[in-house]
Amino acid sequence: MRVPSQAELQERKRVQIGIETTSNAQSTDFPGHWPGENHEWNLDYIKENLNVKFHTSTPFDSEFSLIGIDTSVANAFRRILLAEIPTLAIETVFIYQNTSVMQDEVLAHRLGLIPLQASRRGLNWMKWYQKPTEEDEGSGAPSDYNCAILRLNVKCEWQEGGLQRAARGETDPDKLYVNHSIYARDLQWQAIGKQAEMFADGPIQAVNPDILIMKLRPGQEIELLMHAMKGIGQDHAKFSPVATASYRLLPTIDIMKPIIGADAKKFARCFPKGVIRLDSVTSEEASELDCKENEVKAVVANPMRDTVSRECLRHAEFKDKVKLGRVRDHFIFRIESTGQWESEDLFLESVKLLKVKCQRMRRGLDAMMN
Amino acid sequence: MSTYTTAGAQQQQQQQSSMAHDASSSTDERARFVEYSCGDCDAPVSLKRGEPIRCRSCGHRVLYKKRTHRMVQFEAR
Repeated sequence: MRVPSQAELQERKRVQIGIETTSNAQSTDFPGHWPGENHEWNLDYIKENLNVKFHTSTPFDSEFSLIGIDTSVANAFRRILLAEIPTLAIETVFIYQNTSVMQDEVLAHRLGLIPLQASRRGLNWMKWYQKPTEEDEGSGAPSDYNCAILRLNVKCEWQEGGLQRAARGETDPDKLYVNHSIYARDLQWQAIGKQAEMFADGPIQAVNPDILIMKLRPGQEIELLMHAMKGIGQDHAKFSPVATASYRLLPTIDIMKPIIGADAKKFARCFPKGVIRLDSVTSEEASELDCKENEVKAVVANPMRDTVSRECLRHAEFKDKVKLGRVRDHFIFRIESTGQWESEDLFLESVKLLKVKCQRMRRGLDAMMN
Repeated sequence: MSTYTTAGAQQQQQQQSSMAHDASSSTDERARFVEYSCGDCDAPVSLKRGEPIRCRSCGHRVLYKKRTHRMVQFEAR
């Protein structure tokens, strides 16, 4: 059996980027493509080659590299992150009074889009809410295990002496009215049934208390009740736990012939800051490169920060000296959480969900065979 | 005054109907109060059936009916 060299394997997983083209974009490490080579799915091989490296990790924003898996799997994680991890969101709004300038429909929609956070234990305990159907009467009743009740009761009024101040020309609403702005922090959660116990370590509330929902003026009043349900992004984007979850492939820059002097400075300007470093040429290199000592030389410092704008390929002097590309199995993930989950946990959760889906598939296949 | 004619016309109509039925009592004792707000001075005005449509504090004849407390359900989508 033929075993390809490391250099050949490297070359195979390099996506080549020309001035106006990309080539070698498809992966070829599957059985039957390379004659005499074994590319069967092998768990040990994956265990050996899979690598996860974190670059930044804050509660709501993380960036990490996932190296050594196929695009199909990496993309599955991304899609699960976007559409299949559950969160809470306001689903129905019962409006009793709304004398503000905002229409009921618009207000209901705005309330639905507010990201909520709650105890993870409580979220896991909560079940899906099923809408009532015509066939089954009495179905779809909201209960403590599938529905959380939130209230919003605000009435705007004049401050003491506000009218006189307004007559004198004061326009600052803070000095004239009380309750002139409704923020997400004004949503009041009312625990029902077992919820008080299950959400003991994290009440249901808005992640960002300073979201402005609407503005009021004296005499205007809002009185409404909301039902928050557990749901997934597949159903509606308001349930998605991420602001973005995306990946890009690691860019590569290969300098084939040395770029020296003024050219090197120009070359560095073709890339974002920090991608190309300028080193001074040492005495040994000078004779080899046929240039003076202490002249600057372009060196690739950090290709990860490159945007692959291909600017360098537009200049004739660099055309044959540089080769751009991307590594096909190096995914730089970026996950921004909306607040219900920590961004690191989100990825782990997506792995867990993919595993559950695979097990379900396997059970189905087993049932079919027997 | 255009505002006057609308409110006045209503009042005339009411007077005619009340005269036809019962001339002695123009207001119904059992009727409930309904909240309005004055179109001119924004003061709250509560009226019963048969009462003249008029603001108590400024005498303006255009009143706006307030939104009732009836619940309306919306999907937050």
